[in-house]
Amino acid sequence: MSFDLSGKTAVAGLGYRQYKRGTAPMPERGVLVRAIVDACEDAGFDPADVDGFVSYGDDKNEPVRLMPDLGTKTLNWSAQVWGGGGGGIAGTFGLAAAAILTGQARAVVIFRALAEGNSGRLAAAVMAHHLNDHMVGVGQVAPAQVCAMRAQRMFEYHGVPHSVCEELVRASYYHGSRNLEATSFGKELDLETFRTSRWIAEPFRLFDCSRENDGAGAVLLVSAEHARDLRKPPVKLLSVAQGTTAGWGDLLENDDADLYPTAGFRAIRERLFGQAGLTPQDIDVVQLYENFSAQGVASLIDHGFCTYENVAEVLKFENLIAPSGKLPVNTSGGNLAHGFVHGFVTAIEAVRCLRGESPNPVPGARTSLLAGGPGAPTVSSAIFAIG
Amino acid sequence: MVQLVTGQLGAEGPYWEGLAVGQLVLPRCKGCGAWHWPAVWRCGQCGSWEHEWVEQQLAGTIFSWNRTHLRFAGTEGLPVPFTTLLVELGGSAIRLLGLIEGSEEGLRIGAAVTGRIDRTAYQDTTIPSIRWTLA
Repeated sequence: MSFDLSGKTAVAGLGYRQYKRGTAPMPERGVLVRAIVDACEDAGFDPADVDGFVSYGDDKNEPVRLMPDLGTKTLNWSAQVWGGGGGGIAGTFGLAAAAILTGQARAVVIFRALAEGNSGRLAAAVMAHHLNDHMVGVGQVAPAQVCAMRAQRMFEYHGVPHSVCEELVRASYYHGSRNLEATSFGKELDLETFRTSRWIAEPFRLFDCSRENDGAGAVLLVSAEHARDLRKPPVKLLSVAQGTTAGWGDLLENDDADLYPTAGFRAIRERLFGQAGLTPQDIDVVQLYENFSAQGVASLIDHGFCTYENVAEVLKFENLIAPSGKLPVNTSGGNLAHGFVHGFVTAIEAVRCLRGESPNPVPGARTSLLAGGPGAPTVSSAIFAIG
Repeated sequence: MVQLVTGQLGAEGPYWEGLAVGQLVLPRCKGCGAWHWPAVWRCGQCGSWEHEWVEQQLAGTIFSWNRTHLRFAGTEGLPVPFTTLLVELGGSAIRLLGLIEGSEEGLRIGAAVTGRIDRTAYQDTTIPSIRWTLA
């Protein structure tokens, strides 16, 4: 039996609240309730009628505990994608769509919330999920180091020039500097600052690394039919894929040699584009989860936007920025420059950029690709379309 | 049984017992001869539940590396900056992490290294781990 979910569900509402790390004005669950109500107001939908919830990345806010604040009448579906990192972010759309299209829930909120005061540092939480004595014994205790090891192989062995990371980071800050909501609003990043910033874990300097923020995000997903009756123009889920393949994933650095320096998306690329009936050339704008610059580059290569051979020609600053670039990436600034609530801003912007609500609009954009957390043991991505 | 900080992964117990007595042993399937790392109870290729732990030389080539400058929590037992190598062993082709010691001249992917077993201080204990030297 084959079932095609393409175009059958749609995003109806968005909520996103972001604060400087450690400064959320209320505890984590309070911020989350705000974001969910924001998403419902955006859609013109009563929060009490949300009957499903989906999250990822070991989120600690069990949906049943949200019910008193939201006025939830019945909870019909709650689920989470496995994994401690951001690998599951786009997979949440698949879980939510599965619930809606099989009649198990009618209106599902996809969410993620983080406040340092409640959940501690995200980097520490992610590592707690993955840490083992092999790593601790050699001082590998942070995501930056784990990703640095793979980045070094991509640069040194596969010949990807480090300069492409600079192009991606500059484009992110260019967009972020023009986004009122972004941590980097009003602050473009000049190359000299980037190149002389302190080392974190070679080959990564400070500006190769994403930030951490307090905040919460929520996306309301309903059937495409239902979305037509709500306030905002529906942004349809065209495809979603999660998973991995043999030779990748929590293997004590023993992934297949060819896969080792990748971001892990080769395993899901065909399913992702096949289900949507599209190719990378058909994507108008990319919202790219980049925990670290090199993993963002590897993700773009994995998804088929460029290759080891032509990466330097494709990933150029002018090419990556809205409105004129051919491959506009992270039009709100992304994790690097907008802010980092476990990557949720990339999901939000994947919808905003199609609704015409982006701080850096891509004129006429009809399709967007959300590339989920790169380098995670299981990864996921999704494609959206409007009209 | 060797006391681990984070707990044993899969079927790897004999690896840590080996390191504790200064020996590198790695698991090979008795059914089909495949090396498995991380260690498994069941060979996913041939279905065998039998593995033998075979002593291996601490020698190989650098697969990748990084150099940590930031004092991340949990690295207090190491002087920063420190360089960590991922080394592909000759023979089994299993990759193992270790810290570099001695000169870093000639540090590059593909360079040959040899190793020894040491211990890294971590909180109130020590963890057996490998030290690599450029050959």
